[in-house]
Amino acid sequence: MFTLHGNGVGAGIAIGRARIIHRPGQEIPKYNIEPEQIDQEVTRLADGIESAIRALQTIKQQIPAEGAEEVNAILDAHLLMLQDPMLSQEPSSIIRAQGINAETALQQHADHLEKMFNDIDDPYLSSKSADVAQIINRIQGELLDEQGSLTAQPEGKFDDQIIIANDLTPADTIELTKHRIGAFITNLGGPISHTAILARSMKIPAIVGLHGAIRYLHNGDLLIIDGKRGVVLVNPDEAALITYRRRREKIVSRIQEMDALLNAAAETLDGVSVSLNANIGLPEEILESVAQNAAGVGLYRTEFLYMNRETMPDEEEQYEVYSHVLKQSATPVTIRTLDLGADKQVDGGRVSDTITTNPALGRRAIRLCLHDLSLFKPQLRAVYRASVHGETRLMIPMMSNIDELDQLFVLLDEVQQELTSQGYDFDPDIPIGGMVEVPAAAISADLFADKLDFLSIGTNDLIQYTLAIDRIDDEVNYLYNPLHPSILRLIKITIDAGKAANIPVSMCGEMAGNVEYTRVLLGMGLRDFSMDPSALLEVKRQIRLTDTAKIEPKVNMLLKTADQKVVKQLISEINE
Amino acid sequence: MIIEKRIKIINKLGLHARAAAKLVKLSAGFKSIIKLHNGNKQIDAKSIMGVLMLAAAQGVELKLIAEGIDAEQAAEDIAALFNDCFGEGE
Repeated sequence: MFTLHGNGVGAGIAIGRARIIHRPGQEIPKYNIEPEQIDQEVTRLADGIESAIRALQTIKQQIPAEGAEEVNAILDAHLLMLQDPMLSQEPSSIIRAQGINAETALQQHADHLEKMFNDIDDPYLSSKSADVAQIINRIQGELLDEQGSLTAQPEGKFDDQIIIANDLTPADTIELTKHRIGAFITNLGGPISHTAILARSMKIPAIVGLHGAIRYLHNGDLLIIDGKRGVVLVNPDEAALITYRRRREKIVSRIQEMDALLNAAAETLDGVSVSLNANIGLPEEILESVAQNAAGVGLYRTEFLYMNRETMPDEEEQYEVYSHVLKQSATPVTIRTLDLGADKQVDGGRVSDTITTNPALGRRAIRLCLHDLSLFKPQLRAVYRASVHGETRLMIPMMSNIDELDQLFVLLDEVQQELTSQGYDFDPDIPIGGMVEVPAAAISADLFADKLDFLSIGTNDLIQYTLAIDRIDDEVNYLYNPLHPSILRLIKITIDAGKAANIPVSMCGEMAGNVEYTRVLLGMGLRDFSMDPSALLEVKRQIRLTDTAKIEPKVNMLLKTADQKVVKQLISEINE
Repeated sequence: MIIEKRIKIINKLGLHARAAAKLVKLSAGFKSIIKLHNGNKQIDAKSIMGVLMLAAAQGVELKLIAEGIDAEQAAEDIAALFNDCFGEGE
């Protein structure tokens, strides 16, 4: 028994036998061919290509009609390449000229083609090389008669097997969806690779980017895949098998329960309806939010657009991205303006050009934006312009002074006038809200609430600023405590201020996505949660098991004690 | 009959695999010999490997030479495919 580690995708556990499918990049056998067998070798190559063509044609026929245009077009191109004399003639000549085997001749030609592609000045070159490499690999697979060449398998043969590959092609993924696969393991690929997407849609675990998987694993090895931890147990002993079988059963029944939750209402036992929203950063994450049935996006962190790049995204780029998110998502989508500075630095050097001793208390977020309008205005314009594509809300991070809001409103007027005079369509009435994450904002939440359309509590920063501890500082992070009475009181003040001003208050910090605190927050009157999409169903489950009337008195007691032993006792009573 | 025509690549991705496949399929339907030139490079429009090697990105102008009884129709249809961005919309 030994273990391997990669990037886990999907939460499940799978137990099954290893099945290695075509192995691009593996050793190509090289040997000489006797002169009298040359003709036979040339025929073998032709047969290999012919089999590859048949295999692709079979796959092509099996593509489901709807939504497969893209894949179909790629398969067409691959088929034409296989049938092109420019691909097949040269290796035959090499076999004859050098008296070597078909695999070696094909590889020589592939290397030659790759060199030719490398000499071409074409920005989309790499995708062409990848196409050529894929079909060469397919022919090599046929020539080597590899076990598990996908299409050679009769229907049903892959059931409950663990598929191991260097990487999966679109053709493979179509073929594989017809089987009941246990799990995937690939050498290459990240969390948004073909394989990962396929695994998620099939609701099975996968380990991607497990370098060396093909080298260490053999056909028929008994494997346990733990998708959550990204671990593969190879040829496990009996004890491990028993443990993991038990865990798998638990997970399976849990998945069934979660599936049922997906369409259930977010409503407490006593009929209180709650709005559950998603936090997203990368625009792709909207898919996860939709998959988990989020009511909308409670926090869209736009700073990811600005990070890891040399130049700032311009208005047009931002408009495109925000429009895309609005079109894909359930709405409203709450777009938070740039929250840069402190722990999130931009590569372009624009933000980090001066060294501040304490960036968390420095010119960050709304402070930075109001200071540098060339950074802020294009974003505001893009948000307004995108607002025609769906219900949009604009949210300001880290507000601490009323002045900041006044400046913001002047700026928003200006932006609206410009857009109108330039003939752009936009929604002039999108709700404007602010994040309550500085104690100053929470304590005077009523004053901010008077000027805004909504408030959203950011607990991560609120806790750090209130308790004066840096969470990533190992020496003090033991003091990080969401249940500190000061934190609960600030949250309560904010929720009450929203109620008095008749504006919605949501929470988008980590606390909102932790089931440990769901009931406490409900008890304080929070009705709008926003969290990482992966936490949505767990929290919904907890909400559906909660009776708010029963927990409210205990939550009120929680607000009045500093004794952590009492806090612990109350929490376990609230959560029982 | 020999027809010569200048064709500009206007789609964003140029002659990538899927676009190339469409071009080759269309060309294969004509009896004429169809060649594409990019500078001093010349390829057979009925060979996808050739088309991929043409290094034809957005903005490049190609010269098409069709020779045969249906050369005129071939040149016209192929030019239309390029101008339609290979049906990709951009």
